[in-house]
Amino acid sequence: MLIFSVFKTLTDQQVTVELKNDLSITGVLKSVDQFLNIRLDNIKVLDEARHPHMMAVKNCFIRGSVVRYVQLPSEHVDTQLLEDATRRESLAAVKR
Amino acid sequence: MSSLQGYVDRRVLLILQDGRVIVFPASKPNANPQGVMVGFDQKSNVVLSDSKERIYSIDAGVEEAPLGLYLVKGDMIVLIGELDDAVDQAVDLGTIHAEPIPPIRY
Amino acid sequence: MEPSSIQEPFDLIRLSLSERVFVKLRGDRELTGILHAYDGHMNLIMSDVEETIMLVEGDQPGVAPTVNVAKRKLDMLFVRGDGVILVSPPSRT
Repeated sequence: MLIFSVFKTLTDQQVTVELKNDLSITGVLKSVDQFLNIRLDNIKVLDEARHPHMMAVKNCFIRGSVVRYVQLPSEHVDTQLLEDATRRESLAAVKR
Repeated sequence: MSSLQGYVDRRVLLILQDGRVIVFPASKPNANPQGVMVGFDQKSNVVLSDSKERIYSIDAGVEEAPLGLYLVKGDMIVLIGELDDAVDQAVDLGTIHAEPIPPIRY
Repeated sequence: MEPSSIQEPFDLIRLSLSERVFVKLRGDRELTGILHAYDGHMNLIMSDVEETIMLVEGDQPGVAPTVNVAKRKLDMLFVRGDGVILVSPPSRT
């Protein structure tokens, strides 16, 4: 839930999604759901010469389960806020 | 799972777990509702009409193999992309040489 | 319960928040970076990350395999939990 919220705050920011098939796709984050499926607009594949498969694709839906990393814009991530929220969530999980 | 809604009735490109690429014929853009994503469900299972597989290789140009009406299981899908028809048709697939997309490795 | 005591595995990770951690991943990858968030799936958010990828080449018998190491820096990174093998806290010496 916490990570889902973080992604929601990053809507309309530029991110780079690296998949488990080694494809890296940069684009504007349009939406994310509870499975961390991701929608990107205005996409660009890194190393397009090696991966021309998506040349004509303008936006895409990526299944959360095939994501390895997402590179985030650090200027839009409040790390202090994240750490506090993580501590709160982990303590709540213990009480349950 | 609201994210897939925008792709119904669009020309889309699918990348599957095993690295296959599935697209739709782009010979007559917007001519009729052929070659589009027909529907999807909760598990992101997807039904495609008039689909084709694009087979990539280093030694030869891209080959297109017709598949017809296809149901793709949600679990198999890596990515669904909306095709820009103008860009897609400007590309001469026969001149594109590329490695196939690697399969997903967990 | 004393909140800073370690009772279960995730407590160890909680105490590593805002510290530099070492993460081992599937696919012969390793990360070091500052941990800012995690959840029960071991999804992580880290900053100031250095990734190390080990590429083993030449698996023919009789030939010693060569290991190529590729490194790169990443500013702010979300790591999907299903690839995480271990998270190790900073060494307290």
